[in-house]
Amino acid sequence: MRDVSIIGVGMTRFGKFVDRNIQDLGREATWKAIEDANVSTKDINIAYVANAVGQQLTELKGTIGQHVLTSAGVFGVPIVNVENACSGGSTALRSAFLEVASGSCDLALALGVEKLFCGDSAKSAAAMASGTIYAKFGFMFVALYSMQLRKWMEKSSATKDHFAKVVVKNTYNGSLNPNAQFQKPMTMEEVLNSRVIAEPLTQFMCSTMADGAAAAIVCSKDLAGKYTSKPLIDIAACELVSGTYSFPDEPHEEITTRAAKRAYEKASIGPEEVDVAEVHDGMAPAELRLYEELGLCKEGEAAAMIDEGKTTLKGTIPVNPSGGLAAKGHPISATGLAQVAEIVWQLRGEAGPRQVSNPKVGLTENAGGWSMDDNAACSVTILKR
Amino acid sequence: MAKKSEGDMEGTKKHIPIEEGLFYVPSTEDDKPYLIGAKCKDCGLATFPKTPVCPRCMKKDTMEEAHLRGKGKLDTFSIVQAALPGFQAPSIQAYINLEEGPRIWSLVTGCEPSEEALKIGMDMELVIAKVREDPEGTELISYQFKPVEK
Repeated sequence: MRDVSIIGVGMTRFGKFVDRNIQDLGREATWKAIEDANVSTKDINIAYVANAVGQQLTELKGTIGQHVLTSAGVFGVPIVNVENACSGGSTALRSAFLEVASGSCDLALALGVEKLFCGDSAKSAAAMASGTIYAKFGFMFVALYSMQLRKWMEKSSATKDHFAKVVVKNTYNGSLNPNAQFQKPMTMEEVLNSRVIAEPLTQFMCSTMADGAAAAIVCSKDLAGKYTSKPLIDIAACELVSGTYSFPDEPHEEITTRAAKRAYEKASIGPEEVDVAEVHDGMAPAELRLYEELGLCKEGEAAAMIDEGKTTLKGTIPVNPSGGLAAKGHPISATGLAQVAEIVWQLRGEAGPRQVSNPKVGLTENAGGWSMDDNAACSVTILKR
Repeated sequence: MAKKSEGDMEGTKKHIPIEEGLFYVPSTEDDKPYLIGAKCKDCGLATFPKTPVCPRCMKKDTMEEAHLRGKGKLDTFSIVQAALPGFQAPSIQAYINLEEGPRIWSLVTGCEPSEEALKIGMDMELVIAKVREDPEGTELISYQFKPVEK
């Protein structure tokens, strides 16, 4: 296997863009990544395009990757359509990475694109729940998160105040991010006093829908210098797992922990070496659980992590410097690659006012879907400068 | 005396299962509902919804249909103040640990949607109840769980 670097990233701002279609969003992110990498469309040997609900919410009923990329001037090469719920973007990155690592080609594009606002919010909400077998019963992801948090709170010292602190931190970070949907910092009072959606979750603890796209260009490390003079960001690991069955009376290892263990092993590092992380705070309090599941702290220490400010921009291990899903919103398949874009900017030192101090190793975690009573997919990526 | 809940079927409205093959709807007063799961002939693992392959043995043709009687304990729950289009808020969504082993997702009915009405670990039992009505007024019914009356 060859060493692979990310040489270009790009994303649209995430938000509600009633006048923009899915091709338009995908084209902007693709071209930003192309320009960032200083390549031409002809240099792209293969493209993986992730999209989750475009077939339900747009007029396109198939081969969305081809429709989006031809509008960006990328065609003729293999275009592979990827669907893996909220992990679609990172799944596309993994496939592009493996193409280049295997020597099958030298330069590959990964794009995640999602158009959720379709003029009918009920239709959008139904589409977002459609990946589970319980959708017809009224299953909602917010209920799932709330149930998991209720169980987790039993063995943790975390309270609703800790959950609100995550939102305060992430919305502050988002206020420094021009790509975030929401750029207004929130106070503890605003978060705690917003309406209860599903105890212990209030409205502002829940991520919202967004339209958006994000892209990355990966290249064989030995050829990267041909294109770019920017610092090369190496993919040290890009691991993907699916869920596992919970057997009665047997401990069930969390999907994130399984993915993270594989990623740390591939990258030959321990969690203590991670300098900055972007994690999947679909509901902001879940970020606390992820500190523990990713090994960023020991079990039972998540509440102290947020109390002591360790995960703020100036902390020892900043988490979600982009503002996370809380501030950016969640355009399903674009989220994973937006996390990757943020870590690339952080590792290059290009993150502007939200730059964390001299990071060398970054991690992204991206989980989603619901199958066999576990997340359907979870991806952990480790990037190194 | 069991309280009549909003979710219970009543009157003469037409009702149909929200999904076929998941649960048995009692046809008489004395008849009892059950869940249609599966059980592994080799290791005894029970699953619901039924799985064609045993997730433990992972061999072909070891699973056979099994009727799960619908007794269990509340594992975790959520009172959801939002709803998908066509559904009513609030709803109670939960996980139930069935006596036969599986931990299953279910809607909860037969009690107030309040934190006080539900306790993790409490005894729960299967009922067949309305989930919602379709636009033509047909009741869509499903397996649900309700707290066991003490």
